Amino acid sequence: MARIEVKSEITGTVWQLKAQPGDKVESGDVLIVIESMKMEIPVITEDGGTVKEILVKEKDPVSEGQVVAIIEE
Amino acid sequence: MSWQPEIDELHRRRALAEICGGTEAVAKHHAQGKLTVRERVAALADPGSFREVGKLAGKATYDAVGQLTGFEPAPYVMGLARINGRPVAIGGEDYTIRAGTGFGSDRRKGGQGGFIEDLAFEYRIPLINLIDGTGGTVNTAKRKGYTVVPGYGQDGIERSVELLGQVPVVSAVMGTTAGGPSMRAILAHWSIMVKGTGQIFAAGPPIVERAFGEKLHKDELGGTKIAVDTAGTIDNVAENEQDCFEQIRRFLSYMPQNVWEMPPVDNNGDPVDRCEDALASIVPRSNRQAYNMKKLVGLIVDRDSLFEIQPTFGKAVITALARMNGKVVGIIASNPMVGGIMDVKAARKQGHFAELCDMFNIPIILFADIPGLMVGRESEADAILREGVRTRYILGQVKVPMLTVIVRKCYGVAGGGFIDRAGLNFKIAWPSGEWGSLPVEGGVKAAYRREIESAPDPAAREREIETELKQLASPFRTAEAFAIEDLIDPRETRPYLCQFIDAMQGRLASQIGPKYRAGVRP
Repeated sequence: MARIEVKSEITGTVWQLKAQPGDKVESGDVLIVIESMKMEIPVITEDGGTVKEILVKEKDPVSEGQVVAIIEE
Repeated sequence: MSWQPEIDELHRRRALAEICGGTEAVAKHHAQGKLTVRERVAALADPGSFREVGKLAGKATYDAVGQLTGFEPAPYVMGLARINGRPVAIGGEDYTIRAGTGFGSDRRKGGQGGFIEDLAFEYRIPLINLIDGTGGTVNTAKRKGYTVVPGYGQDGIERSVELLGQVPVVSAVMGTTAGGPSMRAILAHWSIMVKGTGQIFAAGPPIVERAFGEKLHKDELGGTKIAVDTAGTIDNVAENEQDCFEQIRRFLSYMPQNVWEMPPVDNNGDPVDRCEDALASIVPRSNRQAYNMKKLVGLIVDRDSLFEIQPTFGKAVITALARMNGKVVGIIASNPMVGGIMDVKAARKQGHFAELCDMFNIPIILFADIPGLMVGRESEADAILREGVRTRYILGQVKVPMLTVIVRKCYGVAGGGFIDRAGLNFKIAWPSGEWGSLPVEGGVKAAYRREIESAPDPAAREREIETELKQLASPFRTAEAFAIEDLIDPRETRPYLCQFIDAMQGRLASQIGPKYRAGVRP
């Protein structure tokens, strides 16, 4: 099983968690919403699979390129 | 009397050149996942089209009676080939010979100036440089008996500079590259690097370790993550060599042979009047929410025609080559997926891309959803104002027509860079469009400070002013005043733009040739 790291494209704070460990997700699904510069920026998975871990919680600061979730294919 | 003995000798010497750096060196090269330079040219060029020039150049040794006893080919392999049916000047270092380092008169072949650049220049055909060399060596001093000033002889970049104003120049970083060859990689209209096997730096890990005591792997110092994604030193990443060749062919398919020609028209039959329903709802009603701009643009341009330049760098703006009714266009689009706010990287990317389009007579379509320049201490320290204004300056000098589609936001200094103010100043907007000096939300407090502070309920007064201003911000009001040339149904975007792109072809054809720009960039 391939372990896929999902990263935030932008620096900001975690606004909403849209997925939880165990959720089945498809390519293009929103896992987390980051708030940055008053915008809601989705963290989208490019791969389908099962959410293994969500590595952040709401209001956490995140930086660009930070791994925020792990998906297992 | 026939010349057969000499002809045989010629073929024998050509066969010796084919051996490259020897069986062992070639096997080692292959084991690293790299092709030899001749295999690369064969994989990139149209089948059978490569006419190698100067295959006999190299270092030969002779016995007492003048018989050839040994031959080391010149490490730069070059010649004429065809790509997509059109002639190109193509060359690359053979890493299996002295790590691609040329010296002596065989250096005239190319790699750092030389015949291949002259050929591209004199025949006005694209230049493709497959770089796999490490540049100069301190051995030179021992060989010559003296040291040379940089830029001496064929090392000069004069020709490379001229080429950038006349023919498309593509460079591919296929191996570990430093020094002179790394400079050639930058002196290109478009560059690409192979992931894993390609690295580029001013100087490699041993020199960095000596200078700073920092031990780095060559990938950490100059791999795709640093050189492409972070620094934008190189434009695009290739997953492997085959992918690299496909991307080069793709890039060249949008390019004219030189600035005196128009880019090639290639109509794939996608109907001009294709109006995608998805466009009516792709932009969320909340202006805080992001959407997929790449998908949006993809629904408007000719099907499968979008080719992104620098997709992993300066991601706040998307730059891409595409086609509209078969004609080549340049796309500059804000990327709301990363906020769309212009930072210094996005500014550099946008300015460079606009110049590329201008040079090759490619009109530009701008899709704006730009809240402004990146604010904050870090951004100011990066010189966001200078970089942002420089980009506007470049766009102000562009001679190709630009068409603006305001998809959503268009604010401030950065927003102004999305408008063809030096030309027709033609901008159309979707009903989701909003614009101004700065967004109402951010500007009310600053502009109405005294009024808000002196009100009995300051927060209520602020909300009141905001509501009032937001009503005035309706795009219909701007359209009534003809302060935006048109407000359109998003689904009409493709036929609308295609008609204008078609109509401007005569104008574009009338301004072919080199473009010189006066002035000092801020």
